[in-house]
Amino acid sequence: MKMKLRKYFKNILFSIIVLALAGLPFLFVAGFVKSTMIIFFGKCMAYAIIAIGLDMIWGYTGILSLGHGLYFALGAYGMGMYLKLQATGGAITDFMKVGGLSKLPLIWQPFLTIPGMSLMIFLVPGLIAGLIGFFTFKNRVKGVYFSIISQALTWAAYSLFIALSPYTNGNVGITEIQSMLGSIKGNKNVDKLIFLFYIGLIILILVYVIAERLMKTKFGKILIAIRDGENRTYFSGYSVSTYKTFVYVMSAVFAAIAGALFINFNGSITPTAMTISYSVTMVIWVAIGGRGTLVGAVLGAFLINFCEYRFSSGAMVEVWQYVVGLLFIVSVVFFKNGIVGGIYERLCPRNE
Amino acid sequence: MSDCVLEMNKISVEFDGFHALTDVTCGVKRNTIHFFIGPNGAGKTTLLDIICGKTKQTYGKVYYHPQPEDKKVLTGMKEYQIVQEGVGRKFQVPSVFQNLTVFDNMELSLKGNKKVLESIFYKLSKADYDNINEILELVNLKDKQDIVAGYLAHGEKQWLEIAMQMVQKPSVIMLDEPAAGMGKPETFKTGEILKNIKSECTVIVVEHDMQFVKQVADTVTVLHEGKILMEGSIDDVLADQTVQAVYLGRGGERNAEN
Amino acid sequence: MNQIILSLFNGLSASSIILLTSLGLAVTFGLMGVINMAHGEFIMIGAYTTFVVHELFRLFLPRTVFDFYYLLSIPAAFLVSFLIGMVLEKLVISRLYGREVDSLLATWGVSIILQQTARSVFGSQGVAVTSPGFLSGGLKLGNIVFSYNRIFIVALVLLCLLLVWLIMYRSGFGSQMRATMQNRAMAQSLGINSRKVDSITFACGSGLAGIAGCTIALLGSVDSTVGQNYIVNSFMAVVLGGVGKLLGTFLGSNIIGFSGIFVENFTSSSIAKAIVLLIVIVFLQKRPKGLFVVRSRALDE
Repeated sequence: MKMKLRKYFKNILFSIIVLALAGLPFLFVAGFVKSTMIIFFGKCMAYAIIAIGLDMIWGYTGILSLGHGLYFALGAYGMGMYLKLQATGGAITDFMKVGGLSKLPLIWQPFLTIPGMSLMIFLVPGLIAGLIGFFTFKNRVKGVYFSIISQALTWAAYSLFIALSPYTNGNVGITEIQSMLGSIKGNKNVDKLIFLFYIGLIILILVYVIAERLMKTKFGKILIAIRDGENRTYFSGYSVSTYKTFVYVMSAVFAAIAGALFINFNGSITPTAMTISYSVTMVIWVAIGGRGTLVGAVLGAFLINFCEYRFSSGAMVEVWQYVVGLLFIVSVVFFKNGIVGGIYERLCPRNE
Repeated sequence: MSDCVLEMNKISVEFDGFHALTDVTCGVKRNTIHFFIGPNGAGKTTLLDIICGKTKQTYGKVYYHPQPEDKKVLTGMKEYQIVQEGVGRKFQVPSVFQNLTVFDNMELSLKGNKKVLESIFYKLSKADYDNINEILELVNLKDKQDIVAGYLAHGEKQWLEIAMQMVQKPSVIMLDEPAAGMGKPETFKTGEILKNIKSECTVIVVEHDMQFVKQVADTVTVLHEGKILMEGSIDDVLADQTVQAVYLGRGGERNAEN
Repeated sequence: MNQIILSLFNGLSASSIILLTSLGLAVTFGLMGVINMAHGEFIMIGAYTTFVVHELFRLFLPRTVFDFYYLLSIPAAFLVSFLIGMVLEKLVISRLYGREVDSLLATWGVSIILQQTARSVFGSQGVAVTSPGFLSGGLKLGNIVFSYNRIFIVALVLLCLLLVWLIMYRSGFGSQMRATMQNRAMAQSLGINSRKVDSITFACGSGLAGIAGCTIALLGSVDSTVGQNYIVNSFMAVVLGGVGKLLGTFLGSNIIGFSGIFVENFTSSSIAKAIVLLIVIVFLQKRPKGLFVVRSRALDE
């Protein structure tokens, strides 16, 4: 019995989370829960998706990316631009006019159509991640050196996006966006909101299943081997840099998908998503939830964001900052396994 | 020289002015167990590092003849390519994959299927499964196959690492102090295992334990201060005056017999 | 021509500030295998200390001695950062030895706490410090004006560099530190109290960052995020320079500082950031562990 529990524990936990989420719209329709809550959990699902990607590269492979917000933001900006152009009917947007542009710039043209936009959401983050992976992993840049580079990357992108105001609307970002199904605000659009919510849930389930299946294959074990003994893995005949680049690109694409989903719920995206702080916070979700477990990343994303939601008013904001800081320190120093890891070890301890 | 599976030709290695190896030229014959011995700092581990691609030599080449008519140049290849060619290395400090089970460690070491896409769709074949089981039996780890490798005892980790080498079915296995940390019976058993696999591959060993050397070696090369001092059978080497002075001590032969 | 000279001067000034902050980082990384993401907050602490000293002089002391606030704030900034650094080392950093990647995250938590503390104490608005009289204006040579502020900063940094070099390579403590950095177990078995070495080294590194904060107070307004602006450049200087050798950090800081300023001549500062990052990545192709590396025989260090 214990063996079976151990084997399926993580999937059982994930199923519980999925069921709870699936039940939420019912509570909403019955009036127990407001629409803001549904939108909030929709955003959390997006966060959970990027957290899964982060767990794949950090929890399993040992690559700490402190700049993954960049890919998230790229996905969000891409989807946001498409939605904005839908609203303007393909014409140039206000902020572009203000910025001095007279027609839709070439770089945004692919975002006029769904296929174009979808391609770009996969392609741009994937390409950037591929290039970064190639130029760092192949040259055995690893550990903290890689983390610092990833940090610098998102930092440079942040200032670039702000500087290129005519194209990106600088500090303000892309705002006042309706989701792909149309507006989700207000009583008239309740059905659209719920539909969007379930789409998000399905995407989350898909991403989790893909990641989970993948981590169970030999590929997944090689990732763990790379994390625990990179040189040893080279000496077992594996081109480690290829594996690292592959999983890094995959996680970047997951992040972009998360961003694209996010903006449907959030209605706007700003360059704040490219700050270092944003990216590091995502890592903490995984750390607290439990790295190397996938479901821990999902749990962490929901838990931390929910707490932040609760603490988001008045004096509590300050207190929350202290709490988050402490959580960072305590979880990394004392609780390396996170919540899920800790429970897992308790329930089914490894044989000696 | 085509009865040699590995040839080192004028290998020199220099680190910031320190000459670790100077002009080492040596051949390792196919299907033999070839020992490299010598005092600390003689360059034995450095030599292994050069062959397996961990360190770059300053001068010289290493040739590899998987078949007598083949000739490949190992120096210059990346280390994972050298492993794929069939030249494996076990390190001095046991370095198994701590968080994976013994069986997983073996599975990852199998020959072939090292590419990303292959690894995603890989399924363990019966032949591979049998191969792993056979070798695990040989090193007495079969009943521990589901234990996480990090929990094994030191000696068991050594054997696991040797097993991980063997399961690759390499042409050349290089072992760096395989008897370190083992007691007499385990050391003897390790020697017997090596004698068993010699028919299928060639074994290079760096070791200090003279009794182990005596039990197992076909050829012995003595290194001293980065140069080859002498090469021959173990008896010739033990009897040599210079070797005694430099490495074994005055009572060299006496010590070796203990 | 004038532009080139001015760029060189600005580059020197930028490099010197980066050097001051990366020194502490590089040595801590080399010694303890810990990267302190809260290092920028020590810059902030130094800057705020300067502000406090400034206010104390302004409110309680006669005008005639006002300008001397700055001379006092340098040791004050060092001391405050040194002490806070020591506390931090004992509470958090010491538990992260060798855990480089974990230390990035844990110290980020410290950074959040320190920034929030600054906001709680000083508010979220920036505060400004008036340059002391003897540092206002600039040296006029031909058509170019070299501001005294920046000249002073460069001189201060050179002085600090000299002191650090003297301590590291010419003092007993320095030998202990370098020994512990190269082989901790060996140093311990020789009777060196490596824990004490760690605490003092970390505290000194933080103190240096405090002095950097003091210089930054001269250059602009100070708020809780002021450290963040400098930290990425300092990290990159450490990545470039490699770990453990002063020369590496020196060279790395100069490369980042000068290339940043020079590129800014041709494009905007944000594109300059991207290009400097590109330069670092290209550089890492050849030297993935930085300019100066300590080699090890272990398979997985």
